[in-house]
Order: sequence, then C-alpha cells, then structure tokens
Amino acid sequence: MSPDLQAAWQAVIHHPLFGIGLTLATYQLALAAYERTRWPFLQPVLVAMLMVIGTLYLLEINVREYLEFTNIFVLLLGPVIVALAVPLYINLRHIRQLWKPVLQTLLIAGLTATLMGSGLAWMFGASEEMQRTLLTKSVTSPFAILLAGEVNGIPALAAIFAILTGVIGAMLGPELLRKINVKHPAAVGLALGLTSHAVGTARAMQEGEQCGGFAALGMSLMGVTTAVLLPVAVSLLT
Amino acid sequence: MLLRGLTLLILMQLLGTAINVLLLPMIPGQVLGMLLLFVWLMIRGEVSAPLNEAAGSLLHYLPLLLIPIAVSAVLFIDSISGQVLAVSAALFVSLALSLLFTGWLMEKLIARQLRQKEQA
Repeated sequence: MSPDLQAAWQAVIHHPLFGIGLTLATYQLALAAYERTRWPFLQPVLVAMLMVIGTLYLLEINVREYLEFTNIFVLLLGPVIVALAVPLYINLRHIRQLWKPVLQTLLIAGLTATLMGSGLAWMFGASEEMQRTLLTKSVTSPFAILLAGEVNGIPALAAIFAILTGVIGAMLGPELLRKINVKHPAAVGLALGLTSHAVGTARAMQEGEQCGGFAALGMSLMGVTTAVLLPVAVSLLT
Repeated sequence: MLLRGLTLLILMQLLGTAINVLLLPMIPGQVLGMLLLFVWLMIRGEVSAPLNEAAGSLLHYLPLLLIPIAVSAVLFIDSISGQVLAVSAALFVSLALSLLFTGWLMEKLIARQLRQKEQA
C-alpha cells in the first residue's frame, strides 16, 4: 500500500465510529442468518460476537479500543433494565387466580435454580469466580450482567451463560417436561420463563398464549426478585 | 413520543441512582429505577404510549446492545480455560434439573389449589 492509502486505512479502522458501525453491520448479518435458518444456537448476539472478534483480530485492532468506542451500548443497558418494569406490569395480569402457586414456585424453584448452578460448579471444581458468575445464569442477560458485577463475577461471561442457558432450555425444555408429564400450560410456561428467560419465553409463545404469558411472567418475576434479593444477600453475607 | 418515553426511563434510573447513594447502597440504581417505574405504573394503572414505545424499542434492540459485552469475554479467556468442561456441565445439569423441578412443582401446586377449591 502506498503511504497515503495506508494512512487512510488506519484513519478508517481507528475512527471512533468504526466499532459502532462494525457492531451494527455484524448484528444485521447475524440476524439475517438466524432468520434464514431459525436454528436456536445461531443466536444473533453469539454470531455477531464471533464476527466482531474475528474482524478485530484480522485488522489488528485492540479489543479495549473497540470496547471504549462502543461503551454507549453498555450504558444503554441501564434504561433497558428500567424498561423491564413494563413487561413485569403487563404480565402480572396473567397471574389472576394462580398467584399463590406462582409465588410459591418462584421462591422455591427460583432459589434452587440460582444455587444449583454454582453448587454444581463447585462440585465439578470450577473456580470461585465462575461459581459466582453462574449465580446469575437464570435471569435475563441485562440483569445477569449487572448482578455478576455485584457478586464479583465476570459480567461478560454472565451474559454468554445466560444466553446459552436460554437456548438450551428452549430447545430441550418442552420435550423434557412432557417426559415427566408436566402438561398444564401455566406450569410449562413458568418453568421455561423462570429458568430460560427470554429465549425460553419465545419458545413458550409457540406453545400457546397461556404458556407464553406465564413464561413472560416467570422471566419478569425471576429477574426482579433476583435483582433485589441477590445483592442484599451478598451484602449480608460479606 | 419515543424521546418522551426514553427521558422517563433515564429519569427513573437517575432517581434510582440517587436513592442508591442516599438510602440503599446494596441495591443497584438501575434496579431501583425499575422498581420506581413499576410503582409509577401501578399508580397510573396503564402504560402510556410514549413509555410503551421507548421500552418496546429498547427491548427489541437488546441483542444488539449486548454485543460489546459479549465481545469483552475474550479478555477473560485465561480465567475460563481449563474449566470449560466443569462450567458447561454445571450449566447444563442445573438447567435441566431446575427446569424439571419448576414445572413439576408448579403442576403439583396448581392441582392442590384445584382440590382445595373443590372441597371448599
């Protein structure tokens, strides 16, 4: 490359907007791939993540530089968390006469889901940092990221664990539940929403309206309760 | 419309941040902001159109907003190397068990409630 072309190239790939443009472009590509295949493992976030990492590597751009210029995306996750009050408020309508079983299941099963991941990670010999990060795998990713920071885990990995949990739960959940004869749409929905949050809820919507409604309710309630109780529990224990 | 809703969301988060510093240091400001918005919705009894639009758009683009954080996972390759198997096993087993347990428990509790209603 002639010196001028070289300078122009460097100016382009180190422009403050390059990271944002790259993120927008890879997201749209990943979304198109997902819509064409509908294969749950091709979650747009995961595919776009790999494409961004690959591009940064090929162009020899430092990951920290990319993160600095895309920090606005991270900042916007705050209002996203505030916005989750809207689905919580709307989904509470589904609770109606089943509020007692829902709250009992939320407390018992929610606590089990939260502790079991870390417990098993401890048994299998994963590091303490990983055990703490896994405490957040059953809540939707914006909460998982925030809470992983609160419990001194790794927010980046919490996001990925949460997404993978959602994908696997959505793929296997309905089949597994049928095997043990769980049939009530409210039970199937709540199980999917409470353990597999957003992707699980999307899967539950395909099973029917009541199932989808209870999944959305389970996801909202699980997210809010964990977001309030987990930091309080940590501050009491430490 | 969109901007009005977005302003409300940011206002709630900033209020949440103030409460976090003043009164409740253990609960993050964003979460307090969400609880404030929830209370506001309970009082008003409806989701206004601007708020609905702003919340809907943000949640629609959530996957896009998550990409940079997911990318930052490469900085932690060292912390996860050697533990991939343990972590995936923990993730998978706990997910399967808690999914089944949640569904089973909810099914039992619904059945119990129906029985109690019949007896009453």
